[in-house]
Amino acid sequence: MSDHMIIAFYACVRTLIGIVTRPYETYRHVINDGSYWELVPLTVIIGSYLGVASLVKTAAFRPYMLTKQFMVLTFAVLITFGLVVGLLWFIGKLIGGKGTIRGVILGWAYTLIPTVCWFYITSLLYVLIPPPRTNSPLGILFSALFLLFSSILFFWKVMLSYLTVRFGLKLDLPRISIIFFVVIPMVVFYGIGMYRLGIFKIPFI
Amino acid sequence: MNNNRQEFLKRWKETIDIPPQTIGPFTPIYKEVTKRLKVMPLPMVVAVSVAIVGLVVYLFGSSITKLVSLLQRGF
Repeated sequence: MSDHMIIAFYACVRTLIGIVTRPYETYRHVINDGSYWELVPLTVIIGSYLGVASLVKTAAFRPYMLTKQFMVLTFAVLITFGLVVGLLWFIGKLIGGKGTIRGVILGWAYTLIPTVCWFYITSLLYVLIPPPRTNSPLGILFSALFLLFSSILFFWKVMLSYLTVRFGLKLDLPRISIIFFVVIPMVVFYGIGMYRLGIFKIPFI
Repeated sequence: MNNNRQEFLKRWKETIDIPPQTIGPFTPIYKEVTKRLKVMPLPMVVAVSVAIVGLVVYLFGSSITKLVSLLQRGF
C-alpha cells in the first residue's frame, strides 16, 4: 500500500506540473494510464481547502461548528463531483462515447485543481482584504487583477474539462459541445440549489 | 530497436484512438489555436484574459468593483 501511495504521489506531482506546461499530453497519459491512487493526494489538497474554508466561514474556533461546517462542505463537494462525473458519463455514453469511467473520474478530479486554487486564494483574500471593494484607484486595480486571475483559472478549467471529455469519452468537438450544452444548464440549476441551501454561493465544480 | 518499435506502436495507437477534430471551414483555425494550447498554454491564456478584462474595465469602469465584491464572497 505504501508503494502505491509513493507512486501515486509522484504521479500526481508530475501531473500537476504537466497540466500547466503540457495539458494535452498529460491528460492523454492520465486518462490512459492513471490509477485511482492518484485521487488520494488530490483529496488531501481539496480537504485542506475545505478545512480553511470551514475556519473562514465559521469565523469562530468552536470544534462542533467547525466540524459541522467541514462535513457539510465535504459532503457537498463529493455530491457535486459525483453528479458532474455521472452526467458526463451518462450523456457521453448516450451519444456514443467509448471511454472508461476511470478515465472520466481521474480527468475530472484533476480539473478540480484550478477550482481549488480559485477557492483557496479567494478565501485567503477574503480574510486579508475583505470586501466590499471601493471605487478608489487601488480598489479598481485590485478588482481588475482579481478578474484577471479568475479569468486565467476559468480558461484553464475549461481546457481541462474539454480534455477530460475528449480523452475520457473519446469524442469529437460537436459531441463534446452537445455534452456541455446539456450539462451546463443542469449544473447551473444545481448551483442555484446549493446557493439557496447556503452551502456554496459559487458551486465547487 | 524493438523498444523504439513498441514506443512507435503505442504512440500510433494513442493517435488513432480518438476521432480527428474537423469543424468544416473552421478546421485550420481550430488546429492553429489548439496547437498553441497543447504545449505551455499559459501565455495565450494570459493574453486572452488580459484582453477580456481590459474590455470589461473599459465597458463597465469602476462598476467592476461591485462584481469583484460579489465574487469575493462567493467561496
